[in-house]
Amino acid sequence: MIADVREALQEVLGPVSEPVLLAGGASKEAWAVDAGGERLLVRRAGGGVIHRHTLSLRHEFEVLGAAHEAGVKVPRPLLYIEDLEGREAFVMERLEGETIGRRIVRMPVPERLPLEMAAELAKIHALEPERLPFLEEATIERLVDEFDEVGEPHPAIELGLWWLREHRPPRREPVVVHGDFRIGNLVVDESGLVGVLDWEFAHLDDPARDLAFGLVRAWRFGADDRRLGGIGDVEPYLERYNELTGFDVRPEELDYWELAGNVGWAIGCLTQAQRHLSGQERSVELAILGRLGAEVEYEICHLLERQGVT
Amino acid sequence: MSERPTPDELAEAIEEFLAGEILPTLGDHRLRFRMLVALNALGIVRRELTKLPPEDAAVQRELAARIRASDVPAGTLAQVKAGVEERLRIASPRYLERYQ
Repeated sequence: MIADVREALQEVLGPVSEPVLLAGGASKEAWAVDAGGERLLVRRAGGGVIHRHTLSLRHEFEVLGAAHEAGVKVPRPLLYIEDLEGREAFVMERLEGETIGRRIVRMPVPERLPLEMAAELAKIHALEPERLPFLEEATIERLVDEFDEVGEPHPAIELGLWWLREHRPPRREPVVVHGDFRIGNLVVDESGLVGVLDWEFAHLDDPARDLAFGLVRAWRFGADDRRLGGIGDVEPYLERYNELTGFDVRPEELDYWELAGNVGWAIGCLTQAQRHLSGQERSVELAILGRLGAEVEYEICHLLERQGVT
Repeated sequence: MSERPTPDELAEAIEEFLAGEILPTLGDHRLRFRMLVALNALGIVRRELTKLPPEDAAVQRELAARIRASDVPAGTLAQVKAGVEERLRIASPRYLERYQ
């Protein structure tokens, strides 16, 4: 298979080094390859999609292009390939740095990392939606549909959804959002934020939702006391974001969307397990998420308690 | 509560992983032999599990439906949380320590 991928890549890129399949990313393959003196990363479709609103690689490539032009720190997109050994793929620059969340929360990162994250989000949220007409608007209802398709009773998720229905903040004009902006999808080194990866969940949404996604406890990778992705505090992050955008997002909105992020991930755990159970992609890693989702449900209960629910 | 994957579905996933992904990589014949013995033992566990009565999800189903209908009297969260805690004691007991 490596030889086939290499041959297919050589047809479009010229001579390339032996491709190395990198770990991580259940629904997409990532191949490291060098060509023409450049370090490249090939993102290729894999066994399935995480949910049905995942962008195609063609659209993800377009989003990456728009972000790159707007000066967002992203790997430079190079080439879209409609058929790379039977699957679509694209080629981009391979950034140097750490992406594994568990390692990032343990390494010395500069104090300004939260501010840099805020600055990238501000740029992303200023992207022109007209330029990316295929992006859809996400709603809480869409989440409910995905949950109902699983068809299992989960009272904690229901309670989270109930609270979200009852406490909707005033509607903000939807903007282009990354959709998965958290530690684990960022390249980080000792000097700070190197790049924003994994744009497959980009869509139109309330900017506060994107801003709060990185607060979800599962994405703190064990460093629970640092609410922003296990790496820092929320206050300077929110303050910088508001300075740059003028959106004046309130802390209560972050609380709301942090809960929504947890509800979304609790449902995500169930749909991932379904991919295994349905036979779409047999994997012990996917299977166990069906049980580990209970961790996220516990966090939902914890956050609801803090909102005064009994 | 009928949690998915069920115990047998989890054991099946482990069996597929060991037989499909690990066994073919084992060069040492003693390790191969012991892996086959382990898979045999796992097969016994799976057949044993099929003798357990299926768990009843009726209470959870009713509670979930009630909350969906926005019928959430005081005390609902405490009831829900206790149920999640019970599942966590099986699925990930150490996770609970993170809230102490």
